[in-house]
Parts: sequence; structure tokens; C-alpha cells
Amino acid sequence: MKAVVLLSAGLHPVSARPAPVPVEMQAIALARTLGAAAAGLHAGPGGPGVADALGHGLARIGHLPLARGADPLEALVNHLAAHPPELVLAGRCGQGGEDSGLLPYALAARLGWPLIADAVALEMQGPGVLAVRQALERGGRRTITVRLPAVVTVHPAAPAAAAFAWGQARRGVLEVLPVPSGFAGDAVPAPELRPYRPRPRLIRGAASGGSAADRLKAATESAAADGKLMVGPSPEEAAREILAHLRKLGLVPPRQPR
Amino acid sequence: MSRLRRDPRSEWQARRVPAAGSSATRLRYALGVEAIPATEVAVGPTGRPRRDPRTAVARLAVPGTARLRLDRSGLSRSVTGAGAVSAAPQEKLVIVEAPDFWVLALVEAPGGQPTPHDRQVLGAARLLAGPGAREGGGGVILVSAEPVTGAGRLGADRVVTLPVLAGDPVAAAEALAVLAGHFSARHLLAPESPLAGDLARRTAALLEESLFAEAELVSADQVARRRGAGRLEERRRPPRCLTIGLDRVAMHGGSLHEARELAFSASASTASASAGSILSIGPVERDAATVPLAEAEFVVSAGNGVTDFDLFRQLASALGGVPGASRVVCDAGLMPRDRQVGASGTVLTAAGYFALGIAGAPQHLQGIAGVEHVVAVNTDLHAKMIERASLAVVADAQAVMPALLALLEAGE
Ligand SMILES: Cc1cc2nc3c(=O)[nH]c(=O)nc-3n(C[C@H](O)[C@H](O)[C@H](O)COP(=O)(O)OP(=O)(O)OC[C@H]3O[C@@H](n4cnc5c(N)ncnc54)[C@H](O)[C@@H]3O)c2cc1C
Repeated sequence: MKAVVLLSAGLHPVSARPAPVPVEMQAIALARTLGAAAAGLHAGPGGPGVADALGHGLARIGHLPLARGADPLEALVNHLAAHPPELVLAGRCGQGGEDSGLLPYALAARLGWPLIADAVALEMQGPGVLAVRQALERGGRRTITVRLPAVVTVHPAAPAAAAFAWGQARRGVLEVLPVPSGFAGDAVPAPELRPYRPRPRLIRGAASGGSAADRLKAATESAAADGKLMVGPSPEEAAREILAHLRKLGLVPPRQPR
Repeated sequence: MSRLRRDPRSEWQARRVPAAGSSATRLRYALGVEAIPATEVAVGPTGRPRRDPRTAVARLAVPGTARLRLDRSGLSRSVTGAGAVSAAPQEKLVIVEAPDFWVLALVEAPGGQPTPHDRQVLGAARLLAGPGAREGGGGVILVSAEPVTGAGRLGADRVVTLPVLAGDPVAAAEALAVLAGHFSARHLLAPESPLAGDLARRTAALLEESLFAEAELVSADQVARRRGAGRLEERRRPPRCLTIGLDRVAMHGGSLHEARELAFSASASTASASAGSILSIGPVERDAATVPLAEAEFVVSAGNGVTDFDLFRQLASALGGVPGASRVVCDAGLMPRDRQVGASGTVLTAAGYFALGIAGAPQHLQGIAGVEHVVAVNTDLHAKMIERASLAVVADAQAVMPALLALLEAGE
């Protein structure tokens, strides 16, 4: 099976130096669990961060050279339509660019392929059919089967990436691919950027336009205004009451008749 | 909105001292506290009136406040007396008939109950649309898979229910794109959560728009988000598609909106080439034993009051809760460190917390500050955890645990 892992020119969040994006390295590890012949694909300015991905388990990376800040979508669509793999893997979100996680979706929409988000495990279910284990909110998991070709994004909860191997990085090939002139991508208009300064999160439950007293109340008052107290019940009585309460809140599934 | 309104004019009139005789041309008002009525003044053995400072203070106390407040002007009592006007008039319903533009707000609202994140998305939509019922303002359309309770209070002018949103994400995104086109929506907002964020990205890709993901600041003319490996902040005018980060925008407060139901049937035009490629979507599974504490929905936690930890683990798995513990238990090695709840452990985002034999030290309570429903079992009536809980049971946890297990095993 042929798989392509999309690589972005990432930056390290602390040092801001070029570095591979962790979740893309996890995507390489997932592709290897399928026994797929995985190749990397990068559309952009390239750099040491992209080449480092070779050391995390890729034998070959195709590089579509684009100017810094150019939209990579056209070049990727053109290349993947000309050399279609069976599976395209991408990180759930880049690190160092726009970081919105939209590119895999735009790519899938343009190629007309299905997209499955947030994979943590992959398994072939037969020729051309892939089972994707998807991570959901609150530690939930579900399995989606999809007919290939498909685009799959990888969740940070996926198995850890392979450690960097120097020899493999030396042996791997970074191949510059031609980009036809019409597909170099328009420069995205430069947005207004400034250094990020963390802003405090809001106090849950306080409405906009409320007074300081409202905010204080929302921050300090527990939700237990209608609290119920049982003093010294028998264990059975207590257990019955607790269970009924938890079921009413939907925290424990309702009773199953046997 | 339920604050008493004072009418100072009638308060003064009530304090007016009636004119005695013809000489009183000046208006006289009785200020300060009324004298203790003569009938209540006790007379001592010597015949002198005796004052009771205790009753005097009790008279000055303002009712209904947790802290003792003394009102020596007597004004607060007259509010409830002659000068009191009925509480604020009925809230006005804001009706937006033909707004200049529409803002679509997608919410998840599992079981029709809006989550805090959903409320914040509607708050952001309201900010982008303006307060409504004004020239140049917009209207907010709430879009959800099932009817949402209290949509008007959250600031929705219209409500569209699209059951298709709960199913296949490809069809859901198409329906949402059709809806956005139908209303020529100026903005499309969604919470930045796994499922709704996925849907927003699919829709943005269909609409061939960019996505302003995880906005941290939203106002009518500017939005901001974090990017560039978390080192840069991008600011711009609000684009068409946005997702809103958790706890970034306050929910809507104040005006009550109409939340008029709109019938809209998205003609399922499954024209997209990828339709039918998704063969099956399995049910959502949660293995409580392996879910990280920070992601858990329901945590069953043991403190120093629990001695039988095998029984506790059995109970947690029977209840389908993620096991947690207090620091004392983790320090003793009875539970692994990654199960510790609290300031130096994990701060929970769960909806429910079941505390067995936990005293509720401040460091522990910090870890459950965001939890809405707490159930506590403790032998000590005065434990802080009992005070914090919405259902507090003063009983021996060692006895309640087997009783609960027996109930669950009996299929109840
Ligand atoms: C810097 C610092 C950080 C800390 N961080 C944390 C933290 O992150 N998390 C944390 O949990 N603690 C933390 N602590 C410790 C915290 O202060 C408390 O010591 C700890 O939470 C107490 O745990 P407990 O309630 O289980 O035990 P105890 O205080 O011993 O309370 C046991 C409770 O169980 C009740 N009980 C006893 N027997 C029974 C029975 N048979 N049935 C029912 N109830 C019974 C008792 O009435 C009592 O209320 C921190 C402390 C410090 C100084």
C-alpha cells in the first residue's frame, strides 16, 4: 500500500527554531503500523525541520518548493491527483504557520476523497478498506471504516513517534519535485501579527455585561444550591439515593432489566 | 433584574412629620431610626426607662444579608415599606424581524442541553450580530441536531433543527453549507471541540473559505487567535467561518430573544464525490479505566476514609466512572500518582464527582472547582466536602460501597 504523510515546516513552540511537528511524526509511526510504503510530502519553503522527518522513519520525502507564505493547496492537489496514493496522513493541526487544521479538509474536498479526523490507530480490513480508530472528547473512541483512497488526520493521543535515528536521516532522500508554474499558490495576504500574550480564561457561568458581584458569585458559588443532606442513613438507603441521583444526572447509565 | 427599585420621593414623604398646629410652616422629616415604641420600653425598679442595646441593634440590622449590616439611617427598611415599588418590570422580548445579515451558531447541545461552550458560542454570535432590533444589526440563528432548551435566553433569534447534523459528518457539512448559503450568512460559528470543530472545517472547505480556528477574542469588528506555534497572535476583522475556543467569550446575558423556530429541510444533495466512501461509523466507546483523569466525564474518587481499595476499584468500574484519589491515598501508594485529584494532581473537567471518604482540603477542592455535580460520602458532618456536595451522605463509606455494588449487581 502506498501512503503519503503530509509534512509542514514546523517551528518549535519554545525556541521558535525549525523542528518537525510531533503529531506528523506520529502519523509516520501510524503509517508504519500498516506496513505501508510511506513517503513524506512537503509543499513549502522546506528547511531542516522537514528533513528531520527522515530520521523518524521515512525513506523519502518529496518537496514541492514554494515561496514562504504561499498557499500550498494547489501544488498538493496537483501532485496528489497526478500520483494518487491510497492513503494521505496529516497531523490534526500544524505548528508554526496558520495552525488552523484546515488544509487536510480543503485537500480532501478538492480531491473528492473522504476525510477521517483524529485517528489514533489504523488497521486494514481487507483490500481497499481501512478501519480508523477515532479519538473523541472525554477519552471516547470509535471505529470508522472507510474505502480508500482517503485523507486521515492524526490525533496527539496516537502512539508515540519513533525516536530520531541519525543513520536513517542520512540514508533518506529529500527529492525536489517540479511545481508547474500555475500551481505555485498565491501568497496569502499577510495578517496582522503580534507576539502572543496569554489572556486569562473567562470565569465559567458569568454572563457578558454582568456586574462584578455576578462574576464573584459565578466564581465562588458552588452549583450545590439545592444541596441535599442525609445524616446517618442505612447503607442500603444511602446507596439507593446515590444511585438515583447519579442516574438522574445521566452520569450512570439507566438500569438494565435482566 | 430582581433588585428592588427605590422611589426616593415616596420614601421622603413617608418620613414626613405631620405639621403640629399652625406654626409649622417648615416641612419636618423624621430622619434616623424611629424611637423604640413606648409600649416596648421597659421601666426599671427606679422608674427610669431601661434601654436594651441588644434589641436596638437587632432593629438596625438589615435583613437578608449574610454579614451583619446595621442601617442607622433606616433607609433600607423604608424600601420594603411605603416607598417600595414592585420589582423591575417584565423583561422585554427582543424581536428581530428583518436583520441586515445572519450569524449562524452551530451548537452540540447533547440531549438538548447546551454546554457552557455552546453558550459561549452563542455569546460570540450575539457580539458579532449586535444587540438586535437596531438599524444595521444582525440576527442569530442557532443550529443544532435536536431542539435546545432555553435558546432565547442564550440570545438566539431563530432556531433551526437539523437532525442530519447528528449523523454522517459529510452529509452534515453539506447541510450546513446549504443552510449558510440559503441565509447568505455573514458568519458561521462553532465551538472548537472534536466533533463540532471537525464539522466547521468540513463546511469551511465546502464553502472554500478560510477558517479562523479557536478564536480567543471576539468583538463586532475584531477577532484574535493564537498561531505560529503558539507564539503569535493574529488579528483581523471577523471572517466568515470561525470556531470559538473554550472559556474565551462570555455567554450572552441580558436581553431575552425570540428563538423562533424556522422550518428548514436541507435537501440532501449528496453530490459530493466522497459520499458513500464512509462504510460504517461505530458506536462511541469509553473504557473508564484508561481514560486520563483530565478528560473524564465522571470521576469516582477515594480518600483516606476508604480502606478496601479492591472494593473501591470494583465499584468505580461498575458505576462506569474513572477512578481518582486524594493525595493522602496516592502518597500511601494505594493508588497511582496519575489518579490524584487536586492542585498538585489533576484539575478535573468532569461533569460529576463522587467522593468517598474525602475531607475536602482546599488543595483537593481546587481540583474539582469546575465540577458541577458532587456526591459525597463522609462520616464527618462538618467535612468541607459535605458542604460542597449537591448530595451529601453522612455515613460510613466502607458500608455504602458494598451496598452500592449489590444494588448495581442486582440490576437496579
Ligand atoms: C502543597 C500541597 C498540595 C496539596 N495538593 C493536594 C492535591 O492535589 N490533592 C489532594 O487531594 N490533596 C492535596 N494536598 C493534601 C491536602 O491538604 C489533604 O491533606 C488531603 O487532600 C486530605 O486527603 P483526604 O481527604 O483523603 O484525607 P483526610 O484529611 O484524612 O480525610 C479523610 C476523610 O474521610 C472521612 N472518613 C474517615 N473514615 C471514613 C469512613 N469509614 N467512611 C466515610 N468517611 C470516612 C473523615 O471524616 C475525613 O473527612 C496538598 C497539600 C499541600 C500542602
